[in-house]
Amino acid sequence: MKPALVTRADWLVIVASLALLPWLYATFWSSDDTAADKVHIIVDGKELPPISLHQDRKLTIRGSIGTSTLQIEQGRIRFVHSPCQGQQCVHSGWLSHNGEFAACLPNRIALQLSGGAARFDTFIY
Amino acid sequence: MNTLTTTAEDHRIAWLAALAITIHIAESALPSPLPGIKPGLANMVTIATLCIYGLRTTAWVMLLRVVAGSLLLGTFLSPTFTLSFSGALASLLVLTVAHLLPAIRFGAVGYSLLAAMGHMSGQFAVAYWLFIPHPALLHLFPILMTAAVLFGLVSGIIVATMLKRIP
Repeated sequence: MKPALVTRADWLVIVASLALLPWLYATFWSSDDTAADKVHIIVDGKELPPISLHQDRKLTIRGSIGTSTLQIEQGRIRFVHSPCQGQQCVHSGWLSHNGEFAACLPNRIALQLSGGAARFDTFIY
Repeated sequence: MNTLTTTAEDHRIAWLAALAITIHIAESALPSPLPGIKPGLANMVTIATLCIYGLRTTAWVMLLRVVAGSLLLGTFLSPTFTLSFSGALASLLVLTVAHLLPAIRFGAVGYSLLAAMGHMSGQFAVAYWLFIPHPALLHLFPILMTAAVLFGLVSGIIVATMLKRIP
């Protein structure tokens, strides 16, 4: 007898994995689209003091394989240059929202945006 | 002079590993929308091997692919290799458990899905613990797993269809 194309156990795996995905999104994916005002830079597992995104500047950071250049401009930040092969950090482009994240794995530099989480823009008394 | 005697199984492993390595290298030339996402076409060789020849051959083929493939790509012992190797180990572990479970008979689709998800989880866990232990990385996990499920399902169906045509 030829084996079935999809066995009963296969269906079980398919259903279980499809059910797993919404749960993963609910658990790990909480979107927050408020503008950020600080950037946290993590170099080799150590976090540097947060840097404001409201002051335009260029940062050069020494990682484990060389120096990466970051640019802060108008409340956003990007990797300008990194000594890695894939350049995935550079291709991440500008980051400006709370919780956004970019990393250069080979150079062990990561950055995450935070702040701006205030629920109100202004108070009027 | 000494001659190295090889068994039929050795030859089979070498052929299958060569096939997996070729696919692995061809695939590394494809662009990826997000680091960590790729179709995992070499997974098809793994699953077909598991369905036809069993666990021992599969383990050999998989480990040979990761090590020899990284030597050819020039990524041996780099972070890329570490991630690839841990993914392979995790998926091998999942496949071993699934294969040894009594009374449950998985087909290519089930194995493929389990392998893809195991690979992604293992790889992700190592990326998280070893390279960037930061909660923000966890946001990527659902997306990566969606890709794993999608590609695992597709390659599983391809293998199942292929196996049906083998007499």
